[in-house]
Order: sequence, then structure tokens, then C-alpha cells
Amino acid sequence: MSPAGPGVRSRLRFLPRVGARNLGLLIALAVWLVFLRFTAPFYFNFDNYRVIGLQIAFIGIGALGTSLLMIGGNIDLSIGSMMAVCATAAALVARDIGVIPAVVAGIAVGGAIGLFNGLMVWRFKISPLIITLGMLAVLRGIAILMTSGYAVTGVPDQFKILGGSRIFGLQSPVWFLFLGFIVVGTYLHRTTTGRHIYALGSSRDAAQRVGINIRKMTTGLFLVNGLIIGLVGLLAASRLGTANPTFGVGFELEVITAVILGGVAFSGGEGSLGGVLIALVLIGNIRNGIIAVGLDSAWAQVANGALLVVAVAIDQVSQEQREKYRRLLAMRERTPQEVASTKPASPSKQD
Amino acid sequence: MVEVRSVSKYFGALQAVDQASLGVRAGEVLCLVGDNGAGKSTLIKVITGFHRPDEGEILVGGESYSSLTTLQARQLGIEAVYQDLALCDTLSASANVMLGQEPVRLKIGPVKFIDERQSAKRAGELIARVGAAVPDLQAKVARLSGGQRQAVAIARALVQAHRLVILDEPTAALGVAQTHASLALIRNVAQQGVGVVMISHSLEDVFRVADRIVVLRLGAVVLDTPASATNRREIVSAITGMDETVGAI
Ligand SMILES: Nc1ncnc2c1ncn2[C@@H]1O[C@H](COP(=O)(O)OP(=O)(O)O)[C@@H](O)[C@H]1O
Ligand SMILES: [Mg+2]
Repeated sequence: MSPAGPGVRSRLRFLPRVGARNLGLLIALAVWLVFLRFTAPFYFNFDNYRVIGLQIAFIGIGALGTSLLMIGGNIDLSIGSMMAVCATAAALVARDIGVIPAVVAGIAVGGAIGLFNGLMVWRFKISPLIITLGMLAVLRGIAILMTSGYAVTGVPDQFKILGGSRIFGLQSPVWFLFLGFIVVGTYLHRTTTGRHIYALGSSRDAAQRVGINIRKMTTGLFLVNGLIIGLVGLLAASRLGTANPTFGVGFELEVITAVILGGVAFSGGEGSLGGVLIALVLIGNIRNGIIAVGLDSAWAQVANGALLVVAVAIDQVSQEQREKYRRLLAMRERTPQEVASTKPASPSKQD
Repeated sequence: MVEVRSVSKYFGALQAVDQASLGVRAGEVLCLVGDNGAGKSTLIKVITGFHRPDEGEILVGGESYSSLTTLQARQLGIEAVYQDLALCDTLSASANVMLGQEPVRLKIGPVKFIDERQSAKRAGELIARVGAAVPDLQAKVARLSGGQRQAVAIARALVQAHRLVILDEPTAALGVAQTHASLALIRNVAQQGVGVVMISHSLEDVFRVADRIVVLRLGAVVLDTPASATNRREIVSAITGMDETVGAI
């Protein structure tokens, strides 16, 4: 049990640490803002922040669900279409039945779809990527079928309150984002269940052996993700006073980019909501800044995709560094001197 | 005291365990040896509740059971540490040791807030009890050496196991120095008053640590002896089923 020598110590710095990762994101954000300060001076005003805040809010609330799932070792790619189905369901119910039932419907439909995805992923031990990719297409089709392809209009005005009001100058989705981060963050980082979600994503075997019900937890995480996406769809329909089956195209990509860039490991068991929040602010400023400096908005899409690739690359490189470090430790455990000094098999008491 | 009596286990037509009996007292290290396929893993999985025996009984603390479930075994204080250790690499040593048994600071309905300080303290005590040195309990387990990782896994088992800790090939993946440390650690576990069953292929390790040695061959117990009353040659011939003079050729 020799302590790590200087060689090993210096390698330690390469290990991914949430702190270092967040610092990197903050530096990138600072550099970008300084750049904008000189190229787009009008960027810095409260109205623009509100626009960014609103964009971040929808992606950010969605990121809460994906963070929970991904830390628990899973993923749901169908959230973009799921959101469209929930928004459409909420708007239809609001138009034909009533506002309170619409709120319930939007969230409940999300929960039901999420649970369904979870049960499928649990039952068929195929990659959740494939199953939920299929669901992405299925749900998009269903959203279109629900309205014959048209937008849902004619919702009562009270339906627009939930997503459309401002409290202390901030739009309600932004408040939902703050509230969501505090509640989910506390749950994830402070409670036993939160700890067990990390354990599940880190090693299903370990989680199961200490008595964590991994089936209940896996399907539960998909359910919670569905409820959260239901809320996103509901807020979107309420804010715009309409729902369109094309809502949320590419939403899953934006959410996953934020989550991975924020330091949640694609392989599970790692990451914090604080990092995701910083990543969201960075993404929001990059998308808006690109337009503010006068570039075509298509560049915002390019930037978004590039960020995802960069985020995954960082994730992969940190995993590889860790592997290298592990091998180094394993080798140090059997230094040549040690092996030589004990080689003449210590005489056993018999023979 | 944990005991199995005349336990048999069939997989279809194959009899993996044949009328096997053995008992482990508190504070005793029992080493289970035998050739590949002798039924060692199957027998311990009967004790940990993974397999339901077809015949025989399991006695724990004076109670007789025809079979155990994994949950029952854990509740009775029986824990196994497998060769892969099953640790959460992305969690700290202290989180791993206390996993599933986190001390709770505040409970609001089903929501339980972890008492991190208490958690670190108890994890530290448990690791100290097995006599291992893990310098930083808050460091991720991925950064620990093989021996330290094993200490964490055994400490985790000790959180639950007040009766019996079962170790399947604990030293197979360790270097020479780590093996010495690991065997010392296993003795420490027994000194806590917990019974230990260790499966091993290394007779050298077995003779270093065992109080009792049980040899399985083709599912049956062919030798059950205090370690001080036997020698390597007798064990080898029991394992192979060959007369020692034949073995010597
Ligand atoms: N789940 C199983 N299904 C069928 N056969 C099994 C199973 N587990 C073990 N066996 C068989 O039972 C015998 C004993 O295996 P095992 O207990 O793993 O031996 P050991 O651990 O001593 O090497 C072997 O012949 C093995 O192939
Ligand atoms: Mg085996």
C-alpha cells in the first residue's frame, strides 16, 4: 500500500474534477463575453438577457430530467417529440375541456410516455439510445396525428397565465428553472435517493448488491423525466397560447449538449447540476451572441453541434486519462523491487 | 455460527453440490478449496441466497432454513465480496462504504438527507477496523489502488455483515505486496468476531490465513480439517482425488 509517488501525483492534475471543469466553462464564458463587449456592444442590456433567460429556461428545465437520467446511467432521446405531444395534449384539453385539466393533462401525458419508455428500456435490455430514438419518431408522428398537422388555436386566455406571466420582471419559465434546479439539485446532491442514483449510474451491480431497487429506480427516473418534459410542453403551449406538432424539433440535442458540456458523464454516475447551469448560461450566450455580432443564425446551430462534439470529446479524454492513471497505479503496486524481494516463495509451514 | 447441512444443488442433470456440510464459527477463517467446477461458488451462493438448494438445510444463529433469499441472507448478516468488488468508481470511498446504509441527518417523509460527516466518520472507522490505510476517504474510488479498493469493498461488507463475510478469490487480482496486506486484513475481519469464508486457488495464501480448510471435489466435501492438522500434500491429494504417492510421480 505504498503511497502514490511524485510521478503519480503529477498525473492527478489531469483527472477530471468537477471544479476544474466548471472553471473551464466559466473561463470560456468570460472570454466570449469580453469578445462580445467589443464586437456587439448592444448585446449587454436587460431585454436581451430576458430573451436569453427564456431560451435557457426551456432547455434548462429539460436538462433537469436528462441530468437525472444520465447520472443514473440512462438517456431518453425522445424528449423533443415528447414535448410536442405534451404541448399539443395540453392545448387540446385547454381548448375543449378546461384550463386545470389541461395542466394536469400536459404533465400526466409526459409522465405516462416517460414511464412507458422506462419500462421498455428495462424490459428490452437493448441500448436506450435505440429504443428512445425510435420513440422520437413515433411521438413526432403522434403529435402530427393529434392535430392533423395543424397548430392548436383558440385556447382560453387563462391557459396563457402559467407560462406567460412575469413575476418581479422575470418570466415564469425562468422561475420554474430556478425552482427546479434548487429542488432537483438538493434531492440529487443531499439525499440518500440522490446518492443511489449516482450509484446506479456508476455500477448497477454495486447498487443492486447493497439492496437498491434498480428496476424501480430506472423506471422512476424515466417517469420523472417524462413529468419534467410534460411541464416543458405545458409551459411552451401556455406561453405561446398555441401548440404546434413541430414544437421541440432538435430539443433533445440542445438539452443533451448542455448536460454533457456541464460535466455529466455520458457513461453515468458523475456530474453536478451546478456545472449544467453554467453550461446553459454559456450556450445561451453563444447562441445569442452569434446573432448579435451579425452572423447568420445557422451559425448558432453549427456552434451548438460543435459544442456537443467538444463536450463528448472532453468526456472521452477524461475517461481515458483515468484509465491510464489506473494502469499506472496497478503497475506501481507491483514494482520490480517488490516482486524481486518476495520472489523466493516464503516457506510455507508445511512440506 | 453459520452452518450448511447435507446441501445438494442440481443444475438439470448435473449435480454441482453433493450432500455438502460445513460450519463457520464467529471469528474463524474457513478456506474453501477445490478444482475448477468443484462447486465452491455454487455452495457459497446457496449461503448468500442466490441459489435455492435442492436438499439440505442452512442454519443461521440456531434457526434452520431450507433456503434463503438474498435479502434474508443480508438481514441475517451474511455478505459476500466478489472478485470484481462491484464498487462505484465515481463515488468516494466513504460513499461506497456506506452505500445503502447512509446515516440520515433529517427525514421529511420519504426524503432522507445524508449526514455526510457521520458517514465519513463511520466509513473511516470501518476501514481502520480492517486495518487498511486509505489516505483520502473523499477521493473517488477510481483513484485508489487495487488493495485499497478491496479494503473499501470489505469495509462495505462489514457495515452489514455481523455474522459472515464471504470472499470469492480475494487475492487473485493482487500483486505480492497487496496480497500480504489483503490476508492481514482478512485476519482482522475475523478478529472482529465475524466468520469468514474465503475461496482461494493459492494454497500458500490458504495456509497463511486459514483456521479451517474444507476441500470440495465434484460437489462433495472430501476433507474438513483444522489448518494446523494438515499439510499441502494432503490438501493437494484431496483436491485432485489422487493418492499422494501418485501425485508425487
Ligand atoms: N448457473 C449454473 N447453471 C448451470 N450449471 C452451473 C451453474 N453454475 C455452476 N454450474 C456448474 O456447476 C459446477 C460447479 O460450478 P462452480 O460452483 O462455479 O465451481 P467452482 O466455483 O468450484 O469452480 C460446474 O460444473 C459448473 O459448470
Ligand atoms: Mg468459482
